[in-house]
Amino acid sequence: MSAQPLTVRSATPPECRSCNTSVPVDEHFCPNCSRIQSLGRHGDYFAFLGLPRQLELDVQALDRRFRDLSRQFHPDFYYNATPAERLASLERSSYLNDAYRALKQPVSRIEHLLTIEGLPMGKSDEQAAKVPPGLLEEVFALNEELDEIRDLRQSGADPSTLAARLATARQPIEAKRDEHERALAEASAQWDRLAADAPADARRATLETLRQLLLERNYITNLLGTIEREAAAHG
Amino acid sequence: MGKVVGIDLGTTNSLVAYVTERGPVVIRDASGDALVPSIVSVDAAGTVFVGREAQRRLLTDSSRTVYSVKRFMGRGVDDVRDEAHLLPFRIGGEPGGVVRIGVGDKEFTPPEISAFVLRDLKRRAEEHFREQGEFDFEVDRAVITVPAYFNDAQRTATRDAGRLAGLEVLRIINEPTAASLAYGLDQKNQGTIAVYDLGGGTFDISILKVEDGVFQVLSTNGDTHLGGDDIDHLLTELVLTELGTAGHGLPPETVQAIRKAAIQAKIDLSGAGETTLSVDRSPGLPDGFMRRLTREEFEALIRPLVDRTLVPVRQALDDAGLEPRELDEVVLVGGSTRVPLVRRLVEELFGRAPHSDVNPDEVVAVGAAVQADILISGRREMLLLDVTPLSLGIETMGGVTSKIILRNSTIPASGREMFTTGVDGQTAVDVHVLQGERELAADCRSLARFRLRGIPPMPAGLPRIEVRFQIDANGILSVGAKELRTDIEQTIDVKPSYGLTDAEVERMLIDSFEHAEADFEARLLIDARNEAESVVSATEKSLRHPDFAQLAGREVTPAELARIEQAVGALKAAMGSTDREAIHAATHALNDATRHLAEVMMNNSVREALAGKSVNDV
Repeated sequence: MSAQPLTVRSATPPECRSCNTSVPVDEHFCPNCSRIQSLGRHGDYFAFLGLPRQLELDVQALDRRFRDLSRQFHPDFYYNATPAERLASLERSSYLNDAYRALKQPVSRIEHLLTIEGLPMGKSDEQAAKVPPGLLEEVFALNEELDEIRDLRQSGADPSTLAARLATARQPIEAKRDEHERALAEASAQWDRLAADAPADARRATLETLRQLLLERNYITNLLGTIEREAAAHG
Repeated sequence: MGKVVGIDLGTTNSLVAYVTERGPVVIRDASGDALVPSIVSVDAAGTVFVGREAQRRLLTDSSRTVYSVKRFMGRGVDDVRDEAHLLPFRIGGEPGGVVRIGVGDKEFTPPEISAFVLRDLKRRAEEHFREQGEFDFEVDRAVITVPAYFNDAQRTATRDAGRLAGLEVLRIINEPTAASLAYGLDQKNQGTIAVYDLGGGTFDISILKVEDGVFQVLSTNGDTHLGGDDIDHLLTELVLTELGTAGHGLPPETVQAIRKAAIQAKIDLSGAGETTLSVDRSPGLPDGFMRRLTREEFEALIRPLVDRTLVPVRQALDDAGLEPRELDEVVLVGGSTRVPLVRRLVEELFGRAPHSDVNPDEVVAVGAAVQADILISGRREMLLLDVTPLSLGIETMGGVTSKIILRNSTIPASGREMFTTGVDGQTAVDVHVLQGERELAADCRSLARFRLRGIPPMPAGLPRIEVRFQIDANGILSVGAKELRTDIEQTIDVKPSYGLTDAEVERMLIDSFEHAEADFEARLLIDARNEAESVVSATEKSLRHPDFAQLAGREVTPAELARIEQAVGALKAAMGSTDREAIHAATHALNDATRHLAEVMMNNSVREALAGKSVNDV
């Protein structure tokens, strides 16, 4: 069993409000009376969608699952139902939409995995301030170059030369980004290869790697944004 | 339970549709017209006129006639100050508050004006069902459409209007998505669709993916202040400018006559390469106005407006992660997409000819009726998954927006945010809810302010208050809060920034019941006028009939003819008043005066018919 500190689940399975049968937490409908169940506390999008906790995912299958569950939960179909069922439909649809959105993109999928495995990313702006050790060299070079370009711009240098210098400055950062994409894909595949009963420290190590790579990736994205803004300043 | 309908509450025109076993039906009047002009006129006696009648009054009693009220739904006075000068009616209200529209000595909020239009549509539909021989003809529930880019306040204002009109609003749905539902009826389409919807006052673009009957909106964008109205403004301004000093200070009725001529020229230029924009002699315009207008000139004039629609289109495509050429279909909706320049630019951008095979004026109402049918029947073949057009956030320290639900999130959508206290023993926290994409709270739309109360007194920073934001399938927000340490549900008093409180809606509802009698009177007056109109036109037709010339003097005496002409004159005069009894009396008088004439005309035609027959028999 992996640690799931943030996935709060009731110790006892919840009960169906219509017929008082106990219903497993990942069931959407009561197995006894087939009424839609209120959502309660749920934190695991993979389990909610009935998917294994894996990073490689068939997007078309996810789309189909999303449409299928939407047809089961959507408030359109509970217009004549009891208030409790209408609320359950609203909550379950909202949650489904969140889950689909998070799992659809590889990056947000990894973020969600880290959250439910107890290693949340936290607020992105807090981490953005710290330069990841693996990027120190590139960041140092880029900042120097950007300072120079700004000085040149203020002294009225030819904009086309500056644009060319910016494009050159961009290259090592972009190379880093591509390198990270590959590393992320590799770490994701490694997670998927680990069986659920793999040693806890091996799982933990892979998750830490994923987390570190995501932090660096966010940093790189911000750097590229800075270059973008600088380029925009040249008009 | 009564009937359920779908309503397209448009800036320029509104219409109503419903679904039968054989498919959707658009409700039309006797002359086959489905469109009810979204115009409301209130005369000095307080009688309310809606639709064509109100449209006529725009030229005779402009300052008491309100049009394009949709532009003011859910908006504040500060938002609309710039356009107020072109409108014949008064725009007022307190700064930072809801727009109020002044008509004579009365003031109305935009939802109240819209409610008049909705009530007329409701009555129209009820009349239709009664004519169909339905026992249960009352219309009590409706799906009403809004522009996709409408924010929370604008949607809420529309829902309030429905309530004020005595309708339970089953659902607010987006116009472009409604249109896609209507299209989906005929075609088993799969793939990605762009719906470009340029109406009278608003522009929307929605990108959808359709698969297995699920209409999933990927992104939406738009401009709630861009439409055919703006084209009309440009043309009107053009005429006023060309009139030079004569164009200043014209009476509102004359400005409306110019606007009417401008609209006609715009419509002409959708078919013809050139037209004449002509305004009859009017007060302040003794010689009238006439000007040739070519399509080239017209297109140069409106090009900037049409170009403005392309910005949201590109943003929506970008948000959907699609290139223009990747779309399988492009659908045009809204009357303004009849303008050839619009079609051309859309075709250029997407690299394919857009579809417009369903009437662009009616397709939205049909979609609303289909959605209404889905809701009451529970049928699951089709499902619409729409998105929220704007990000939802709250104001945080330093006036910065913290986003909680991102734009283009599928609805229903929910979000949570944790709050705590800053002072020991603090029992309340103020929250400012915003909608929009900008970083600073001041640049976003203020939706509401509310106060979380009843927080148990604790040291600062200790309470953990979870605020839940829920956007429902209407795209309308509700808020709930709970202190997690104590599990105490918090009380929330929401003060909408540009909307009506529930109490205000309740009060208006009571007012509207009190006005129901006056509305009924108005209805009877209109009926009386219509009857009078038809008697007058039948009489005038008889007098122009070729048979009449030979009968005159022989079987119809000059004295009789004088009586008839006098009765016609009297009835025309009565029709100009609001005295229903007088109109009735004058109608009867004319009927009496023409009885003999009618008999003579009838006998004459029978005689001729018989004469013809006898000839044939010989």
